[in-house]
Amino acid sequence: MAALVLPATLLVLGLLVAPMAILFRISLDRYSPTELVQEALTGENYLRAIADPYYREVLGTTLGIALLCTLLALLIAFPAAWWLARLEGRRRSLAVILTLFPLLVGNVVRAAGWMALLGRDGAINAALRGLGLIREPLGLLYTPGAVVAGIVAVVAPYMILTLATVIEAIPRNLEEAAANLGASPAAAFRRVVLPMALPGIAAGCVLVFILCMNAYATPVLLGGPQFKMMAPAVFDQFVRGTNWPFGAALAFILLLVTLALTLAGSAALSRRTAPR
Amino acid sequence: MGTLGLDSLSRRYGGTVAVERVDLEVAEGELVALLGPSGCGKTTTLRMVAGFVPPSSGTVRIGGRDVTRLPPHARDTGMVFQSYALFPHMSVGRNVAFGLEMRGIGKAERETRVREALRLVRLEGLEDRLPRQLSGGQQQRVALARALVVNPAVFLLDEPLSNLDAKLRAEVRAEIRGLQQRLGLTTLFVTHDQEEALTMADRLVVMERGRVRQVGTAEAIYARPADLFVAGFIGRINVLRGRLEGPGRFLAEGPTGPAATLPCPAATPPARPVLTIRPERIGIRPGAESGIPARLVQTAYLGPRTEYHFDLGTPGSGPVPLLAIRDTPGPAEPLHRLRTGDAAGLHWEAEDALLLPDDPA
Repeated sequence: MAALVLPATLLVLGLLVAPMAILFRISLDRYSPTELVQEALTGENYLRAIADPYYREVLGTTLGIALLCTLLALLIAFPAAWWLARLEGRRRSLAVILTLFPLLVGNVVRAAGWMALLGRDGAINAALRGLGLIREPLGLLYTPGAVVAGIVAVVAPYMILTLATVIEAIPRNLEEAAANLGASPAAAFRRVVLPMALPGIAAGCVLVFILCMNAYATPVLLGGPQFKMMAPAVFDQFVRGTNWPFGAALAFILLLVTLALTLAGSAALSRRTAPR
Repeated sequence: MGTLGLDSLSRRYGGTVAVERVDLEVAEGELVALLGPSGCGKTTTLRMVAGFVPPSSGTVRIGGRDVTRLPPHARDTGMVFQSYALFPHMSVGRNVAFGLEMRGIGKAERETRVREALRLVRLEGLEDRLPRQLSGGQQQRVALARALVVNPAVFLLDEPLSNLDAKLRAEVRAEIRGLQQRLGLTTLFVTHDQEEALTMADRLVVMERGRVRQVGTAEAIYARPADLFVAGFIGRINVLRGRLEGPGRFLAEGPTGPAATLPCPAATPPARPVLTIRPERIGIRPGAESGIPARLVQTAYLGPRTEYHFDLGTPGSGPVPLLAIRDTPGPAEPLHRLRTGDAAGLHWEAEDALLLPDDPA
């Protein structure tokens, strides 16, 4: 049996752990305009990233957007997942396919669609002007709102499917038992369905939060040049600024913050789910 | 506690009928069992009483009040589910306290009543356990306590014993019946197990394909089934086809011709009668000097009782099987020496047999 996991282990070591180790090593090097990377063993890239108010703001924006998108995705996905979990047979398969439909389109193509919808001459402004409701086009594109809408649309399917799996595993007759004991539908939801769905909510939130923290195409295309999140900032350092050591340090800061918040969130939720 | 009344209660799904015009009155403190094969509508009827299934027509009354349009949480029924439906994320104590909490009862009274309810089902001291840490029988008793603690107007049991092993089932059966009688609970009980229904219920409602076939006490239904379905569903019964020769004389027919004349009640027979007789009402005299001539085909030894499979057929009639069940004879009794292939004379009181209308075939 152990031999069977060997290929997968090698794959993970070769394609994930090794590049990460190399990247970490680079984050400790020094930038040199002539050689790009000058070998060193310094923490100054990290110190600079933490000290620089610009990158602190980028990290803050990233965190804020990721938390907001996760929350919105949860609120949108829960009713949808509840409905999906109660479907059966072909109607269910159809609903799953419809849920996954947005993921069939790549991030860039989808963002282009949002641009066509939100832009100055986009569908919404054209419609509002056509109706005579506005004279000047609304600045919808290149706003944090556009980024949030774009990211939520991408991550909602993940949240819906994760939640549906958990809700499906909650026996229906538990809701009936609660009702039979005098619980209104709202009380039955709060006291029975919600606590039992918490592990799924935790899993969905972790998954979606990670996706949001690392969003790249959506913030670049819908947020515009002034709007910065961490993933595009890392990309800029590597490709535009060619400062690999600093880009690597930013990447590890993003990784650590995501990891820390994910672990803290999971721990808090698992304390709440502990039976009383 | 209150009474329960169903008036012409029906439930249709599209074109198919699940429950068809069921009328029933359950008196205060009475236990009525809905009995029937799977798909007979007994569970749908129970779920309509609880409010989980809206009736297509008819009314449900609890304590004289029409509750047909009330949602489940406003109905004041206490239900024990087949799978118990305990809340897995709550301790035993919180499971039992749930209904009290929903009724806005204060913490102090809640604790007293939970303790009392758990004592009633002999689970005191297990408040802090989780349902999954209990055995099946214990979970079942938590479900009972949870339903009883709120003093529901009507107590509903949906096949509560089907997930227990045979030995435990007999025990819990007696326990539920004891509780029900002690607390005077108006109870509707769904089961497919006739033994359960016979031993526990004050009255039985035998259902088939959405309709009530017969309502009555266990004795009445067993001794005087209304039709062949009820006769065959409750206990075992011999069904002999043939025709009446005269008052009190039924000529049983085999596949190829008449076989034997059998005693039956002389009262006005139904159209197209068949003769039915319970196996334990048939007496056996080894040898063929008197009674209905028969030949022993096979015996099955069941310990305290023995099954005797006879054939009443003659060379011209083909086989006419008849089952008799007697207490297993001791070595000194003549029946002890009856062997397969031996002749015997069978007899029964005319009033023990019952003429029922044949099923429309």
